[in-house]
Amino acid sequence: MTWTRSVLTIAMLWVVGGVLFAAQEPQAKNPVEGNPDAVQAGMGLFRGRCAECHGMDARGVRGPDITQVWASGRTDAGLFKTVKEGVPGTEMPANPRVLDYEAWQILAYLRTLAAPAPTDPPRGDARNGERIFRVNCASCHRVNNAGGHLGPDLSRVGAARSREIMQLRIRRGLEEFRAGFEPVTLTPQTGQPIRGVKKNEDLFSVQIMDTRERIQGYEKDKMKSVQNDTKSAMPIFGPDRLSDSDLDDLLRYLQTLRGFDPAVVQ
Amino acid sequence: MRTTTIRLVRIALLLLSGAVAVAAQQAAPPPLITLQEISEGLPADGSRWLTFGGNYSNQRHSPLTQITPDNVNRLVPQWTFQTGTLGNFETTSLLRDNVLYVTGPQNVAWALDARTGRQIWRYRRELPPNLTACCGLVNRGFGVLGDKLFMVTLDAHLLALDMKTGAIAWDVTMQEYTNGYASTIAPLVVKDKVIVGVAGGEFGIRGFIDAYDAQTGKRAWRFYTIPGPGEPGHNTWAGDSWKIGGVGVWVTGAYDPEQNLVFYGTGNPGPDYHSASREGDNLYSTSLVALDADTGKIRWHYQFTPHDLHDWDATEVPVLGEITVAGQPRKVVMFANRNGFYYTLDRTTGKLIVAKPFVTTTWAKEVDFATGRPILLPGHEPDEKGEVTCPDITGGTNFWPPTFDPSTRTFFVNAREVCMTFYAWKPDYKAGDRFTGGAGQRVSSAESPAYGALRAIDPATGERKWEFRYLTPSTAGLLTTASGLIFSGDAEGNLLALNSRDGKLLWRYQMGAAMHGTSPTTYMLDGRQHVLVPAGTTLTAWALPQ
Repeated sequence: MTWTRSVLTIAMLWVVGGVLFAAQEPQAKNPVEGNPDAVQAGMGLFRGRCAECHGMDARGVRGPDITQVWASGRTDAGLFKTVKEGVPGTEMPANPRVLDYEAWQILAYLRTLAAPAPTDPPRGDARNGERIFRVNCASCHRVNNAGGHLGPDLSRVGAARSREIMQLRIRRGLEEFRAGFEPVTLTPQTGQPIRGVKKNEDLFSVQIMDTRERIQGYEKDKMKSVQNDTKSAMPIFGPDRLSDSDLDDLLRYLQTLRGFDPAVVQ
Repeated sequence: MRTTTIRLVRIALLLLSGAVAVAAQQAAPPPLITLQEISEGLPADGSRWLTFGGNYSNQRHSPLTQITPDNVNRLVPQWTFQTGTLGNFETTSLLRDNVLYVTGPQNVAWALDARTGRQIWRYRRELPPNLTACCGLVNRGFGVLGDKLFMVTLDAHLLALDMKTGAIAWDVTMQEYTNGYASTIAPLVVKDKVIVGVAGGEFGIRGFIDAYDAQTGKRAWRFYTIPGPGEPGHNTWAGDSWKIGGVGVWVTGAYDPEQNLVFYGTGNPGPDYHSASREGDNLYSTSLVALDADTGKIRWHYQFTPHDLHDWDATEVPVLGEITVAGQPRKVVMFANRNGFYYTLDRTTGKLIVAKPFVTTTWAKEVDFATGRPILLPGHEPDEKGEVTCPDITGGTNFWPPTFDPSTRTFFVNAREVCMTFYAWKPDYKAGDRFTGGAGQRVSSAESPAYGALRAIDPATGERKWEFRYLTPSTAGLLTTASGLIFSGDAEGNLLALNSRDGKLLWRYQMGAAMHGTSPTTYMLDGRQHVLVPAGTTLTAWALPQ
């Protein structure tokens, strides 16, 4: 009797659980895509809740460019999950307070900003690109736990930045510095100037990683000068340093870097 | 049997007389907190701090002089208290009889031994899981009268707690939190009433200021910050927009006993950025209102930003003082506004005396003294494309307390120099949901570097006396002392002591977290002046070495 009841209970739980699970599964397709009211509401939600990191134009600031996500193969269901649950191991938080219909509205708006999938066949050879990266970039940039620390980790840059933006940054350099990577030069009372990137600062002190990757704090009043540099430590790679075809290879390689986000691989 | 009884009686008598003797040796507990004590403000002996702003004028200027510009660099920490909760302090602690009464984030509160920082009691409110409280689960402090502490809650209740135990004496609902109402303000006790306000300007509330009987919790009056049908000012809201027009009140006002008036700054109209959703001046949003403390009836108002479109709540701290303007003694209220202007108003009439930008201000040319209205500059109505305005959403200053030193007649404020691109679009209203109709994005630092500064302002002219620049904008409140000190903090977590006469930095300490919206307070304990600093999740007491 007891045994029968237990089995029944388990069976019931299994059925209820199954129903709940099914109810939580996102729909495969955005139910409000193209609906003007949803797009309007989604714009408000996006700008209010997402734009601080992703930018008002969704082209990426601290967070990734998300105009490229559909073109790169992400699905509505996967993106819905990302909005709701965040991306583990990144700054993208879970948003349990965003309701399901709101998440769909946000995606309906983003869809209107989405860049078309490139019609040109992808250019470049990723394997050669990786070799170029190792020679030219890896002393400062890290990919999957290998490389330097002076520049940002690029393990997921392919998911975060469009090819076009990456190309601009490599060819023309950076216009704005990311927090934690602003170039700085400290001139001690005696000895050589110390160049590095700023990790933190207040009125009285500055914490840097110098070009030899030493992390160290300095008191400003013990320095002759503390100068915020206007030029990034990242060199400009013009066609003289990196041919167009090598650039294609490098970009192709960078586009393959999608980090540790399991939601991306769908 | 009988002998035993006699013996027992003897023992009982002995015990009793012993108890009486012990009681006689102990100091009697101080009498209940009186209105007299509260209205005296900060006493010369430094024995108490009983209101949000130190005194009814909100001056936050202490008469204490043990810590001076010459010895402030010898301050040493006495103890540190940690909340053990998520979220940061925005509170002003009260002190009486060597006990601190402190509210923290998440509606936790404590009584602490001011000598050691050790907890005496702790109150914790179970908060509902679906709170909408917009801008941090914070609380700005207790009010106090008799044997009760008063505290608002994030689910829009007002509580009275027993000072000795933290037990609830009464609990009233101000409004339903599920409709977007919350409360974070430090209550102001005036006569037999506890005066409070509600937050929720981003959630389509209809704001109000309430007064409750301190003994029973019965509501004595309510002043709606948005007039209802038939009331003056109602026609400054198009259509039904008044019903959900926001205008919260979340920063403690000042009280003028001579006129029996309370002065409160009011919040932004909602939806925050979308003009067409609420055509009109939107009274009494972004205003200073002067209310009769007994009835809640409005005596006068001054609207700083008619039809505000930039979320510039006027929920800054109003400061009362007596100054000389053009050779005449004037009773004034001083107000550094989020919209970038500093104002001095006659507090008996509400008439403008000074209105002058104290930070870069691009939206208005000046204030017209004939009408009292700002003369707007074109191009500052947010739209879908975005428009750039200075100051930004957070404003030229905000809810962090300023100070006023009556001896030098100087007003001090932590100012911000930040610009922003404002966007607006038509929002839909859903009860209890966010309702702003726009957003803002900081102008890039390459285009316009953001910074902050502590500014000393002459309230008779609005002219700057001096400034101390911070690396980035600070959100710390201030404390001044009669010895010529001003305590402040920067956004990087430094506690700073400066000379209030010239702004020279005298001493600093890295607290590990910024003071955000909080000020240090000061009092005497066992003959030594203490400075109490709430920063992040810690409260640290400082004093000179013994």
